Amino acid sequence: MNAPVLVVRDLTVSVLQDRQPRAVVDGISFDLAEGEILALVGESGCGKTKTAEALLGLVPASAGSVSAQSIVLGGTNLAALPESAMRRVRGRDISMVFQEPLTALDPVFRTGHQLSAVFRRHRRLGRSEARRASLEMLERVGFADAGHVLRSYPHELSGGMRQRVVIAMAMACRPRVLVADEPTTALDVTTQAQVLTRLTELAGEAGTAILLITHDLGIVAHYCDRALIMRDGRIVEQAAVDQLFRQPRHPYTARLLAAARGEAP
Amino acid sequence: MQYPLRKAFHGLLLVLGVTFISFVLMVWFGPDQTYTLLGKNATAEQIAEVRHELGYDQPFLRRYLDYVADLFTLRLGASNASGEQVSRILARTAPVSLALMLPGFVLGNLMGIALGLAAARRRGQWTDRLISGLSVTGMSISFLVIIIALQVLLSTPYGLNLFPVRGWQVTDLPSYLWHVTVPTLSLVLVTLGYNTRFYRAVFVEEASRDHIRTARAFGASPAVLMWKHVLKNSLVPIITRVMFSIPLVVISGSLLIESYFGIPGVGKVAFDAITSGDQPVLKAVVGLTAVAFVLIQIATDLLYRLVDPRVA
Amino acid sequence: MEPEGRIWRRLREDRAGLAGLAVVSLFLMLALAVWLGLIGQDWSIAAGGRWEPPSPQHWFGTNILGQDIFQRAVYSVRTAFEVGLVVAVLSTLLGALLGALAGWYSHGWPDGAILWLMGVLDSIPFYLFVAAVAYALQGQPWAMHVAMIATFWTGTSRLVRAEVMKLKTREFVMAARTIGLPDLLILGRHVLPNTVHILLVQASIAFVAAIKTEVILSFLGLGVQDGVSWGLMLAESTQEVLAGHFNNFLAASLMLFVLLMSFNLLADALQDAFDPTFDPKQAAQ
Repeated sequence: MNAPVLVVRDLTVSVLQDRQPRAVVDGISFDLAEGEILALVGESGCGKTKTAEALLGLVPASAGSVSAQSIVLGGTNLAALPESAMRRVRGRDISMVFQEPLTALDPVFRTGHQLSAVFRRHRRLGRSEARRASLEMLERVGFADAGHVLRSYPHELSGGMRQRVVIAMAMACRPRVLVADEPTTALDVTTQAQVLTRLTELAGEAGTAILLITHDLGIVAHYCDRALIMRDGRIVEQAAVDQLFRQPRHPYTARLLAAARGEAP
Repeated sequence: MQYPLRKAFHGLLLVLGVTFISFVLMVWFGPDQTYTLLGKNATAEQIAEVRHELGYDQPFLRRYLDYVADLFTLRLGASNASGEQVSRILARTAPVSLALMLPGFVLGNLMGIALGLAAARRRGQWTDRLISGLSVTGMSISFLVIIIALQVLLSTPYGLNLFPVRGWQVTDLPSYLWHVTVPTLSLVLVTLGYNTRFYRAVFVEEASRDHIRTARAFGASPAVLMWKHVLKNSLVPIITRVMFSIPLVVISGSLLIESYFGIPGVGKVAFDAITSGDQPVLKAVVGLTAVAFVLIQIATDLLYRLVDPRVA
Repeated sequence: MEPEGRIWRRLREDRAGLAGLAVVSLFLMLALAVWLGLIGQDWSIAAGGRWEPPSPQHWFGTNILGQDIFQRAVYSVRTAFEVGLVVAVLSTLLGALLGALAGWYSHGWPDGAILWLMGVLDSIPFYLFVAAVAYALQGQPWAMHVAMIATFWTGTSRLVRAEVMKLKTREFVMAARTIGLPDLLILGRHVLPNTVHILLVQASIAFVAAIKTEVILSFLGLGVQDGVSWGLMLAESTQEVLAGHFNNFLAASLMLFVLLMSFNLLADALQDAFDPTFDPKQAAQ
């Protein structure tokens, strides 16, 4: 395994449910190696999305409280950063792709504008330079007519296209880590493969490590190097993907695998 | 092509509806002006003549259709009370009402939007609670109380005595500002609570959308999130509210302010016409209001098209 | 925790709402006391001299006619509740009825007709409409109530219509229709009860609006004809304050403000309690 680019120790996210605090993410720890694709697997409600949001500091105070011993990204402890510093990190050193492409983009601004905003904010490019960079980025995510996409509004694009735009935004600054929260769950099967392939290629070129959140073991098998199995806010197993599929150590993992194969639990 | 036609049709139905109800209320049930014109010692012949002139002897449908026809051909006639041409009256008073109400209306909405944004941005914190608390307080004070209080505090020797108590002697910019300040202030204070409350709710709703989370995930600051993303996405409900509050605030409000401050605007003219049964003036005002409302609806649709790319 | 329990809990915890409820109840008791003839009966008697200052006989002093301002202010509580309750209840019921019909038969002619009516009423400037109604009804004391009911119902009906349109697609409604229950029965027994939360909030908003409207109507001479109300007191006071006599104004505006503010707080508490997405903890932070 390469040197870790993201080191998470004792991350906890707790919310108030009926006035009682409940840990939806319960003191988890893991490493993400440079350039690796790490799957975060679990059923819905196990805390995967909250983990992703916590890494980027996106959990609003009203939704829950986040605490961590450390979230170290390339030497900086994100958990200790003030919000103003965190804003400089988001989208530049660590970025995120979301589950619902249809609502991820702002409907009243053109996609080009939204993509350029990332370049202008983090790479301090001027308007025309940012536009050129955006065009290039759109081509790299596979748009044949990048100019048209640049000028389009989100509602004029399909779900798969919108997701590729978000990926373009996420990879624009060649971040060290990309957190992808079920990026293809809402897309149809053929588009899924396209999007994931493009994503992993781009990440490979830029040396970006991916934390890929998914409940689809097929995706884990095909695209990922290692996997974390999460259940009820805790990580119950972590292993390389081959290892995981051949010899799962935790009974929960075994049940997940069996269910995926269509066998009785 | 079908869409604007349908809109025009609905607009027409609306105008007909408004004119019909107004006709029934004001013209059919309205005061009988025969005796005001003739005085007490009129002969039967004179009475019959005047009634015929005023059209009182015609059947209901005929009178209504005449009414609508007059409206659409702009045959507004002359005021029964003063004899002045109705069109002259409107031309004289409408600009006054606009000059009187517009500043307060615009300011009340702009401030409401700004305060709503501030409250939504710091939702749940003390800024929000202060603004929300002030809004509820504002909503609980009667318009009349505000007007009286402001008048005492600003225009009488018991207060600052800076502004005029009544009247509208506007000849240039300074005199305009001198006369319009207290009415504008009253209008702002009355509408601010309601506006802030409404806009805050709209912004809170918009701020919870997914694309705001995306923008934050890519490093946008709270100010940018609110003033750029949330605000632009909220333009449709904002426009809806502003446009549809025009009849209530500008027209009804002008009636009250003009009555109170003795300002010769359309509201006061309309009110006097109702209480004295001055039908030509009434016809004109009502018809204009209905047409104005339809125009507002059309303008609203156009504005939607401008600000929201999703509206075809 | 089931929904009803949650609603009660929220209501109990909303301190502002509880304070509002307490004050409104107090005012209600005052109104009842006046109605039963226990207090505030001397509102029209010219018991003192002109513009007397507050004294043990006249707690707020007297107005230009020598009438006791305190008595008048207390009697006005009854007037306020009469106007408020009548308008609130009737306009909400009317709105619920028409809104339910419009929503149930949505995209049919009843819906079109009711929507058209709402559009027409909303486009007539309110005070012109009221003045017209007052004249059509020959200055009858109920003219003001009729005018308000005839215009206030549109807000409620819009909300009820939207809710009914949503409820129409729910399973329990579809089940009732499949069984063959008559439409009006389904509407009355199953659908409308599910709009009660909307109706309660709208009624309280209408109550406040009615009282505020009465104030302005009384100022314009179109409001309360017999008896006294805060609106009439304020109308009287407009000339008095220019001469430096503020008791009438202060008494009326203070009592008006306290009642309105309390009712608004209560209405807010109700609205928040019924809102499924509202989190009291969020608001408290």
